[in-house]
Amino acid sequence: MLLEIKDIHVHYGKIAALKGVSVEVDEGEIVTLIGANGAGKTTTLKTISGLRPLTRGSIVFDGKDISKVPGHKRVLMGIGQSPEGRGIFPGMTVVENLLMGAYARRDEVEKDLEEVYDLFPRLAERKDQAGGTMSGGEQQMLAIGRALMTKPKVLLLDEPSMGLAPMLIKQIFEIITEINRRGTTVLLVEQNAQQALQVAHRAYVLETGTVVKSAEAGALLNDPQVRAAYLGGGAEAAAGPTA
Amino acid sequence: MNDTTNRNPLTRLRDGYSSFSDSLHDRWATAPRWARWVVYLVLIVVAIILPADGIGSFMSPYTDWPTLLFFPIGGYILLAIGLNVVVGQAGLLDLGYVAFFAIGGYAMAIFGTKMHMDFWEILVVGVLLSAVSGIILGAPTLRLRGDYLAIVTLGFGEIVRIVAQNTDYIGGPNGIGGIPHPPTLTEWTVPDNGFFDAIGLGGVQPFKYGALDGKPYYYLMLLVIVLAIIFSKRLENSRVGRAWASIREDEDAAELMGVPTFKFKLAAFAIGAAIGGAGGVVYASQAVSIIPNNFPFILSATILAAVVLGGSGNLPGVMLGAFLVAWIPERIRGLQEYRVLVFGGVLVLLMVFRPEGLLPSRRRKAELAEGEGGMGGLGAEVGGPVTVAAGEVGE
Repeated sequence: MLLEIKDIHVHYGKIAALKGVSVEVDEGEIVTLIGANGAGKTTTLKTISGLRPLTRGSIVFDGKDISKVPGHKRVLMGIGQSPEGRGIFPGMTVVENLLMGAYARRDEVEKDLEEVYDLFPRLAERKDQAGGTMSGGEQQMLAIGRALMTKPKVLLLDEPSMGLAPMLIKQIFEIITEINRRGTTVLLVEQNAQQALQVAHRAYVLETGTVVKSAEAGALLNDPQVRAAYLGGGAEAAAGPTA
Repeated sequence: MNDTTNRNPLTRLRDGYSSFSDSLHDRWATAPRWARWVVYLVLIVVAIILPADGIGSFMSPYTDWPTLLFFPIGGYILLAIGLNVVVGQAGLLDLGYVAFFAIGGYAMAIFGTKMHMDFWEILVVGVLLSAVSGIILGAPTLRLRGDYLAIVTLGFGEIVRIVAQNTDYIGGPNGIGGIPHPPTLTEWTVPDNGFFDAIGLGGVQPFKYGALDGKPYYYLMLLVIVLAIIFSKRLENSRVGRAWASIREDEDAAELMGVPTFKFKLAAFAIGAAIGGAGGVVYASQAVSIIPNNFPFILSATILAAVVLGGSGNLPGVMLGAFLVAWIPERIRGLQEYRVLVFGGVLVLLMVFRPEGLLPSRRRKAELAEGEGGMGGLGAEVGGPVTVAAGEVGE
């Protein structure tokens, strides 16, 4: 098991955001966390990457307990994240943003830079544009590219489809599949359950800070409860999973 | 927006200035190395002849010009360079910056009068002491962000002043008198011949620190300012500067890139404090006596205004801002009690005219455009007091 989250509890002040979430991610998988607003998806990711402290439970990565390791050290261990709202450095150019991804690394970055440009040709075209002046879709590509520059073993993606046009969403999900095919494990948080379940191998459903369901992604696509709650239910969802 | 015909003249003036400062910026960015050195050299020569009487009679008809150049002008510029490290580079809003200036000033006063140390020794000790106090202030408070940090630093500035006011060992509200001047380095006198007389510097002893002539102190301040500029500029273009920029633009994202954000924020505080402390030592070495009320909150606010007005994050900008904030109230002293009103009006006008500052950095503009406010914690999402990275709790 590459990443194992064991019964984590996270509090914002006195309010419990996570009440015992357990998630496992195996090497090479795409795992998705789906759920409504406020279910604790983003908090889970932030806790894994070290932006939030946990009050109970543990996070084991690559066989080591990293619950107490500061966030910036987890990056070197191999946890890369594209944060909620993209978190682009607005004043830095595309290249500078990507190089920030390699900030903590001491080795050669040229090859990885080329690989990111290969995945996102759009970024290569806009190398010298300031991150803040790019469109939402381009910023999302930049956020994912920048996370890849940290050479992650597991890539955490927080709502990559948020605020994007349907065409772009499709493109982003294709790229996520491609990243995974090239050997990076992906933990994906999404509200767009339909898309997420189609690319993922396994999925967890979060509701108000707890995991209410976990299964193969394909099985969840056909699950009547999940369909009713997250896939719009009815005839449309019934036609969906055949693809 | 593209409709140029019916815009008011003020907008046109503003756009004109904006494109002028942009083209200046581009020219500088692409200028060859030698051209830059020529500009640096010219600026230093201008700075050296600046205290001349001929310039002073226009710049400062009401006050002794060299003394004015030493403080507030020189002092504010040095403090603005220091505060710019904290606010402009790392994006941390510090409202208690005057505390470090006070610590430097009191270091000079205490070590000079009670331990009879020499100015140059105290300069080193004072800078170190200020840096340490920056770390002491930063360590518990830098876990806060934005407004919360601002309030705590404001409190720190007040604590330092009030402690000084209530500590008998350092004179309480009467402060410390009889602070020694720096030792004379050399009696060397600028030759009294035609050229130097013409520019008004003939007969000046630039390295003899007496009670009357303000020029030697100005040159001392100038030296410290130049050192601070070199130091700050080198930091800006280094790995440290990149880390600060990332923290300023998005602190969480910076942590996700493997930047040890807490350490770098602490470093920004310590370095900013060290520069402020240097300013305090130099200031006290001329002032003969200092009292706690030399270090009021309004000084922190004024320096912050200088940084924002000039163009937070851009060194020439913040220096220009500091110069204006220090100079305008003295220049309009003839307006008597109305001068503060006029000064306030000028500040408001300048901010309406140039919200991004007089000489903003290109990067800062992009940050502003993105809506983060371009001031790190000030404009960005404000985390509550519990926003602490996991590892920092464990340590």
